[in-house]
Amino acid sequence: MTKNYKVLSPQQVVSEETATPTNENQPFEERLEEGLRNDNMHRALERFAPSWRVSRRDVFASEEADYGSDFSFEHMRATLHKAKDYAIEHQAELIAQFKAQAEAAGAIIYEARTAEDANRYIYEVCQRKGIDLIVKSKTMVSEETELNHYLEARNIKAVETDLGEWVAQLAHERPSHMVMPIIHKTRQQVGAVLTEALGREISRENVAEQVAVIRIEHRKSFLNAGMGISGANALIAESGTVMMLTNEGNGRLVTSLPPVHVVMAGYDKLIGTFAEAMTQLRLLARSATGQQSTSYTTFITGPATPGKEVHIVLVDNGRSEMRADPHFKEALRCIRCAACANICPSYQQVGGHAFGYIYSGAIGLVLTPFHHGLEADAGPQSLCVSCNACETVCPVEIPLPNLILDVRSRVVEAKGLPWLKKVIFGAMARPRLFDLAVRLFSLAQLPVTRGSNYISIRSLGLLGKLPGVRALAKLARWRSLPAFATQPLRDRVKGQLSPSLHGTTSQAITERPGITVCYFAGCMIDRLFPEMGEAAIKVLRACGVQVTFPQKQNCCGLIALNSGDRADCVIMARQTITMLEQALAESKADYIVGATTSCVVTLTQDYIRLFEDLQQQGWLWRARALAEKVMDFASFMDHVLLANGTKLPVRKSDSKGDNVIVTYHDSCQSINCLGLRSEARHIIQDMLGLELREMPQSDVCCGFGGSTSIEHGEVSERIMNNKLNNAESTGATVLVADNPGCLMHLRGGVDASRRRIRVLHLAQLIAEQLE
Amino acid sequence: MDDPTYTDLFTHFQQRLSSAGGESHRAAHLAGAATIIAEHPALMAGELVVPPHFGQHQQWGAILPLLGRKGITIREAGSPASVADAPAGLSGAELAIAETGSVLLAQNMLEARVVSMLTLTHFVLVSEDKLVPMLDDAAVILQQLTRAGSDQRHYMSFVTGPSRTADIERTLTIGVQGPKTLCVILVADEEEAKP
Repeated sequence: MTKNYKVLSPQQVVSEETATPTNENQPFEERLEEGLRNDNMHRALERFAPSWRVSRRDVFASEEADYGSDFSFEHMRATLHKAKDYAIEHQAELIAQFKAQAEAAGAIIYEARTAEDANRYIYEVCQRKGIDLIVKSKTMVSEETELNHYLEARNIKAVETDLGEWVAQLAHERPSHMVMPIIHKTRQQVGAVLTEALGREISRENVAEQVAVIRIEHRKSFLNAGMGISGANALIAESGTVMMLTNEGNGRLVTSLPPVHVVMAGYDKLIGTFAEAMTQLRLLARSATGQQSTSYTTFITGPATPGKEVHIVLVDNGRSEMRADPHFKEALRCIRCAACANICPSYQQVGGHAFGYIYSGAIGLVLTPFHHGLEADAGPQSLCVSCNACETVCPVEIPLPNLILDVRSRVVEAKGLPWLKKVIFGAMARPRLFDLAVRLFSLAQLPVTRGSNYISIRSLGLLGKLPGVRALAKLARWRSLPAFATQPLRDRVKGQLSPSLHGTTSQAITERPGITVCYFAGCMIDRLFPEMGEAAIKVLRACGVQVTFPQKQNCCGLIALNSGDRADCVIMARQTITMLEQALAESKADYIVGATTSCVVTLTQDYIRLFEDLQQQGWLWRARALAEKVMDFASFMDHVLLANGTKLPVRKSDSKGDNVIVTYHDSCQSINCLGLRSEARHIIQDMLGLELREMPQSDVCCGFGGSTSIEHGEVSERIMNNKLNNAESTGATVLVADNPGCLMHLRGGVDASRRRIRVLHLAQLIAEQLE
Repeated sequence: MDDPTYTDLFTHFQQRLSSAGGESHRAAHLAGAATIIAEHPALMAGELVVPPHFGQHQQWGAILPLLGRKGITIREAGSPASVADAPAGLSGAELAIAETGSVLLAQNMLEARVVSMLTLTHFVLVSEDKLVPMLDDAAVILQQLTRAGSDQRHYMSFVTGPSRTADIERTLTIGVQGPKTLCVILVADEEEAKP
């Protein structure tokens, strides 16, 4: 191809460093700090999240009510998942088909391998046609390639015409949300940005006036621009059609008025047919904003009028690398609805500039390493609390939480674990060393805990001012830390303390014949909250179950896995599988029951994925066989015992002097990974006969998130306070959950803020109500 | 027009369009449609912009003299600038979709398209027998209309209500770049064009 156009001399090219800076050039820590201090954004996001949840749920429910279960969210997302997977598997075929059809209709296709390649192509079209003004409608791919910056450095002005994108552009910022770019700004801030940019006073209060001003301002650009650049929501292979969704109407103007139209789209936008595109339509607007449909859905198949040019730039920029990865290729299904940001508790606290890089939200944490490098993701990925909520709303079933953990382990592989984690996880992977260390620590803490269950800011007293203890004091300021039990559960069930659990010398707590379970404690219950384990065992035995307790049990490895330390997790996974297989063989137990849903998820789901990934067939087979046997406490109680007629020996109501009103927190692992919802409620209301008052947002994370609560204490504290406020707003006297991680976090928060509500494990609540 | 199945379908269409902020009407014939348009507040100034050659449109052309008799001035759309912010415009649509309350516009000519993009109130005529229940029905039509050939439609849009934004503080504002009002009229029998 000959270049019959003028090339700018080097002097005419403004250095890219001096072109307008944007905020992702700030270090992560600064972006995080700004996010945390932006109260307006914080308020906006906290208002938005609950209303989005309701409108999203309602719009899917109304579709299902009108048209039946084929139109349920679950059914539709499975359908789109399949269609997108087909497109990913048959990419070469679909590209060929799309190209042939689009070219036959008169479009020009360019395949760009890199961001630079895509930007340069567009710049060359501008030069060839003498274009210096471009109007753009929203395209995340152009954000990804930093096109505006590239063009600005070459004296070409690109005006964003999506309202939010334009305000962000004027403020020299990136959109902080894929669908609502300026959700971090107030109307006053928008008014100020417009006033400064236009050099005349624009209302700071009247949104309608602000929108009207933008309409007038953009009209000039639309009529004068030489090129319009848009994104694409889908590239439909069967007809070579570009599908694009907008609400404001700017998209149709951008693609119609200027003589040249450039579409920027990733290869991931390919889809086979119109029929499949309709399923995408149904899921996209409803997931994004809870709208039934966007105002405009446009289908462009080549230039519509003589003299019009349509260029379609297909961008790779890391997508081939994703496609070659058996896990990350699943992220190519993304349709950019931002539901994973809308539902994310951390995102709500810090906003999209910190929770992501150019792509924000959970999917941003997954895409960033491929488009912008692992380093760009090192900070943002640490904000994920592994609550798994994103996966429940993803309209294409991307396993986001697992992919984020994969990113985390890549970060750890590249940068190494922090020394403290390395020491702790290393110790945990050696059961005898770990046991000894915890026992020593439980003695060493005595001067601080003075026998209480907490390391609180009060109990630290003046010690908290010592340099070495200051870090601990900082952590305990808002959430008292749990003390290590001087006697772990494993010792207590040996019968040394609690006479009701005698006869455990053979590690079998024998009761009556019937169902036998092998009790898996999990470190938290074993070492921090043995009373929860005792309660669970007491309840099981009261229902006539024989309980055995393998003394060799150790950490399942979850904590290491959540911190990106897969190496130590694998060691602990193998130990645990071997230990439980042995225990099952010895005790002939029917089930393995754990009262900690996080560990149950690790045993039943994470191990399988881990060994699949490592392609260790033998271990994979053993993990699958083990998973069949494992059950969480609430499910076991509800589905196995109570469903088969077992009666809970509950005290008569007249003998209950205490006023127990319960509110229930749905732990993330319980509701999002195990799908528990009715089990605990059934037990509390129908079996125990207690009053249950639902708190607002009972299924939103408590903010614990494992090490996130240590690394990002403020994020964690805010999420926790929302949860405690919601719980207290019901007037309940007891806050109940079935996962000790949440309970530790919430109990610590209650202790530090001297709230009154009691925080109990479901097993403890039941045990209290027994005869 | 009295078919109960059709009435259900229309009611569904109307509900969905209304929740997207759009108006819809049923008209027994073109004269009825002309009355709805002429009496609409958007016609205060008495001018209506239509796509070029709309008067020759096989299906809808006959509405123009009817509007003329009601004192409406008809102007054929020219350049985008000449249409910008005109108070009222009229187009014909290929399809209406009950599931989403959308209409399908399929015009290649830029001057025809700008009527639906730049006027303040946009009227859309759709033949009643072109009301389909689901997006899947529309997919079949889209497939046909994109088929290569002299009648290939290169530029099509589902339009669902007026232009809108909620970018600033999630405050819903109607009429950003496109029309502020969308009024869809489903016409039963366009042959019966007598007043």
